[in-house]
Amino acid sequence: MPDPTLHTAALAALEGVINRALALDSRSGEQLGRLEGCVFSLDCTSPPFRAFLLPGVDGVALAGHWDGKVTTAVRGEASDFAELATASDPTATLINGNLTLEGDSAPLIELQKILAGLDLDWEAPLVDTLGDVAGHQLAEAFRGLFSFGRMAHKSLERQLNEFIHEEARLSPPRLELEDFYHDVGALAERSERLEAKLARLRSRIERLKS
Amino acid sequence: MSDKQTTHFGYKEVEKDAKAGLVAGVFHSVAARYDLMNDLMSGGIHRIWKRFTIELSGVRRGNSVLDIAGGTGDLAARFSRIVGPDGRVVLADINDSMLKVGRDKLIDGGNLGNIEYVQADAQYLPFPDDSFDCVTIAFGLRNVTDKDLALRAMLRVLKPGGRLLVLEFSKPRSELLGKAYDAYSFNVLPKMGQLVAGDSESYQYLAESIRVHPDQDTLKQMMEDAGFSRVEYHNMTGGIVALHRGVKA
Repeated sequence: MPDPTLHTAALAALEGVINRALALDSRSGEQLGRLEGCVFSLDCTSPPFRAFLLPGVDGVALAGHWDGKVTTAVRGEASDFAELATASDPTATLINGNLTLEGDSAPLIELQKILAGLDLDWEAPLVDTLGDVAGHQLAEAFRGLFSFGRMAHKSLERQLNEFIHEEARLSPPRLELEDFYHDVGALAERSERLEAKLARLRSRIERLKS
Repeated sequence: MSDKQTTHFGYKEVEKDAKAGLVAGVFHSVAARYDLMNDLMSGGIHRIWKRFTIELSGVRRGNSVLDIAGGTGDLAARFSRIVGPDGRVVLADINDSMLKVGRDKLIDGGNLGNIEYVQADAQYLPFPDDSFDCVTIAFGLRNVTDKDLALRAMLRVLKPGGRLLVLEFSKPRSELLGKAYDAYSFNVLPKMGQLVAGDSESYQYLAESIRVHPDQDTLKQMMEDAGFSRVEYHNMTGGIVALHRGVKA
């Protein structure tokens, strides 16, 4: 086992920040208290990091080592955890996502819903812990992570739209397509007019012949 | 004078019967500012070492825990919250000054109801056999006169399956770190002790007592000899501190 000092210190700092943020929402203690006694094993493969999360009325406790029974064990990459944390439908994310789950999924879904439903202000506890500049920047990152779920769909749709139309030119942009349809329509009208004109001329020639 | 009649008190050889009184003198002197000095001496890292000790203790709700040489109650406070109202935490210390400071601090911190305070010598623990799920001793074993006797007493009071955790200064794994640590311990630490606690000699003793304390493998062997099973240790902060854990079979 590598020197546990740094890992333990990191968990202690993270636990402090999370609990100070949770304390700012008065509903958090009561809601997390419903999960008291549950132990969640969080095994992040990239970047490698392992922790055990124990919710309770006082917030959450984070531990690097746990000998006892685990309620739910989740394993995956950081992006997979972020996807679950921000999912509007955590059940679907667990079924369709890349996270590997062992144990009872219901408490994990309950935890996700509690945390996602809380209006957490990360800035104050982070600034207290890390100072103004680093704290603000990290709070922005947290804020980004937690608002990701709400914004991700719109943002992804917009960016994918731009990429397909403007960057990769896999499909023409809407305005270009409308111009094209307009031109095609105009050409069709001109063709029809030409055809009508030709028909009139043909009938005039027939009349002159007879 | 034979080995059986003398023991270490820092670098000095003293009569075995005299060591407890001398150690008591050290801790009477530093008790009032013990927490502040610990924070200053370790840069606050002692809290991280203790946190890891609690993680490895495996203590759960309803357990009974004995914290020997519990000092100012850092571990006892955490254990009190973990074991809850159905559990029991005994804070034991040979030194009444430390015990009083610890008791006041715990009560002021709202830790009530499941904590008992016992003035006790680690070598002769005043508890029945098979009493505790977990026994801890943090930064205390090096001050005990007969460590083997104390380890056997700890084994006796543990329930079968119970765990002993010994958190103690140890031997740094790197030679360079060892030299830096020596320079710090013998030059900075006593001056800091003089400045904050008004007592450089006590902190000189603390530095010396760390050097004569058994290293990681020796202490592991001592725990096995006392009768503990599955003994393992974890080096922390480059081996400056080690956490030993053994189980009563």
